[in-house]
Amino acid sequence: MALSTISVGDMHCASCVRKIERALADAPGLASVHVNPARRLVVVEHGAEVDPVALLQRIEDAGFHPTLSRIDTGNTRQRDLLKRLGVAGLGMMQVMMLALPLYAGVFYGIDEGSRRLLEYASLLFTLPVVLYSSVPFFTSARSAVGDFLRGRGGLNMDVPIALAIGAAFLVSLANTLRGQGEVYYDSVTMFTFLLLTARFVDDRLKARFEDANWTLASLPAEALVLAADGSIRPTALDAVPTGSRVWVEQGNQVPLDGEVSRGDATLDESALTGESVWVKRREGEPVFAGTMNHGPGFEMITTATVGATRMAGIADLAARAQADKPAVAKLADRIAARFVPAVLVLAAVSWLGWQLVDPSQAFLAALTVLVVSCPCALSLATPAAITAAMTRLRQSGIVLTRSDTLEQLEGIDAAIVDKTGTLTVHDPVLERVEWLVDGVDRDALAHAAAALERHSNHPLARAFRRAWPDAAPDEIDDVCIVPGAGVEGRWRGRRLRIGHAAFCGAAGDDERAVHLAVDGVPTARFRIADPLRPDTAAAIEGLRDAGLRVIMVSGDAPERCAALAEQLGIEYAARQAPETKLEVLRQLQRDGSKVLVLGDGINDVPVLAAADVSAAVLESSDLVKANCDVLLLSRRLGALVELVHLGRRARRVIRQNLGWALAYNLTAMPLAALGFVPPWLAAIGMAGSSILVMSNAARLLAADRRPAAGASAPDVLALPAASRS
Amino acid sequence: MSVLLLLIPISALLMAVAAAAFVWAVNHGQFDELDRHGFDIFDDSVGEERR
Repeated sequence: MALSTISVGDMHCASCVRKIERALADAPGLASVHVNPARRLVVVEHGAEVDPVALLQRIEDAGFHPTLSRIDTGNTRQRDLLKRLGVAGLGMMQVMMLALPLYAGVFYGIDEGSRRLLEYASLLFTLPVVLYSSVPFFTSARSAVGDFLRGRGGLNMDVPIALAIGAAFLVSLANTLRGQGEVYYDSVTMFTFLLLTARFVDDRLKARFEDANWTLASLPAEALVLAADGSIRPTALDAVPTGSRVWVEQGNQVPLDGEVSRGDATLDESALTGESVWVKRREGEPVFAGTMNHGPGFEMITTATVGATRMAGIADLAARAQADKPAVAKLADRIAARFVPAVLVLAAVSWLGWQLVDPSQAFLAALTVLVVSCPCALSLATPAAITAAMTRLRQSGIVLTRSDTLEQLEGIDAAIVDKTGTLTVHDPVLERVEWLVDGVDRDALAHAAAALERHSNHPLARAFRRAWPDAAPDEIDDVCIVPGAGVEGRWRGRRLRIGHAAFCGAAGDDERAVHLAVDGVPTARFRIADPLRPDTAAAIEGLRDAGLRVIMVSGDAPERCAALAEQLGIEYAARQAPETKLEVLRQLQRDGSKVLVLGDGINDVPVLAAADVSAAVLESSDLVKANCDVLLLSRRLGALVELVHLGRRARRVIRQNLGWALAYNLTAMPLAALGFVPPWLAAIGMAGSSILVMSNAARLLAADRRPAAGASAPDVLALPAASRS
Repeated sequence: MSVLLLLIPISALLMAVAAAAFVWAVNHGQFDELDRHGFDIFDDSVGEERR
């Protein structure tokens, strides 16, 4: 399955979304289509045989201008809007100046010639506003009406807007030419100006959600590839095959995933992990695209092409979530789709009603109804908040892979965490080796044990990696990983088992030790120290403050867990295998809890799948990552605290937004139909309502002012390293 | 009121000039990035090529 991200700049409403969904509905080979109007993105999951260009063609045929990209071309769109807005503003100012004597003339009298001169002058200044500034409303409304008539889509919000602007202008034009009757040039220019302002501000806020310092967007376009003769040749990233030797200069980004092959790398990996502490990568250690080299230049051998880097993988997962629409957003879309026809009907009804009461008010009342209604607030209320929350989380190194997650987070009241690697440090340390059998080649066996552990991604295996970095994993054949127990394999014709005491047939239940059995005979005991992570206590405190029960699950013996659990003040379940871990979760869920599970190993997959919200760390295996709702780019437990808090804030903002949008529309429209709302107030009301919703969502972008335990404050200013001499 | 016959064309001309200036500014990226440049004084590399 491949994932294509298509940016559609001119999509901005619920009916555009349905049009695009319909355009792609009968395309062959598509697994899923997600359309996100807030980010103007379409994310398509499709088979490898599908050509994304064909998908672009379909969207284009539906009347849009799609581009295949990760980076949105927001700038040209915003420039275009801004120019139209500027012209509308200038035109409006002129028309208002002329409207003043016209209004005064109504009260104090004005001679016919002056009045007609002023009206023609107003017409002159309104022309650029109608013919240039308001064009986006008309084109969008025209295509919506066309589709509606052909039965292929609903009406969008631009229909009543275009109707209001067009009708007011045409009536004014006719009255000007006739030389009698009302003119509404001031209303026309003001509507256009205020509505364009709202659209421009919306657009800017959306763009702010979008750019979200995705380092992917700022990856260098070229890598410095080392040719066989030692010369350096800049090569476009997508033309660099796996296995190329690439030079990374000081102060440059690592262009692709790879391994250090010469020199040491001092990297800022915060783009991937959210942690700003620089890390050292030595020869043979992996480096990842998007990280920044702060040390001297080094040479690397690439292990992935540009689309297959870890960064690209995260971007794809995140894009899926961004474009995925949660249930509440779908509901809002459905409401918005019915809304526009209702507005048109109400406008017609109020026009007819006023004809009976006071015909001179009829046109203005209908106009006001058209302008005051604001389904934008309704349809933007949720996606804007979700996008903002996701952006904020990503800056803290938390990637949501499904957008429903934010809703799920709401009721979470328990968290299940592993002990090893989660509460305790990620890199356990080998303390000592106790040999149980005499007369063996200790050094060779220790290397063999380390080689066997290379096949496991259990946290404790890292201690071996560190103690015997030169162990060769290919010395072992027939490797078999037994989840929750250990690893088995053949080394020089002998069966090796490494893992729990029981798995190796060893006595004793000191679970801090890893046992090695050779041909079924317990041979050695590796004692491994596993100190508590420095931020654990604070993070646990934060989770408890957020009202969560924290349950530590471990394969260790009860006595070990009890001491730690008491120290941290949490519950625990000791001596758990993967199956029993699932039972712990089920029990909690039967008791009515909604449970967040943080896992990292393959053996956690069933538990993660059953959890209400599942989180995994970046180092987890791909299977785990594919099954989790939340990907933590760093092993900061504090990230969970941030996640829970932000999930709750996001829900609050969504409710406020939806509440406001509903209350506004339900109050403003009847008032307008009854003629209580002057046209200028209607335009301000609609524009303001839309901006209010977007700004409320943007609050989520700001850091939580509550001192979140274990959370590091984001850098306010990313200053360039003082590396220049 | 015949002065209007002069003033209205003048205001139309001024509006055209203002609109043209604005469009020029937008096209030259004057409004693309309004937030970041306040921080440029902290970045030593900005304007380095001029030295």
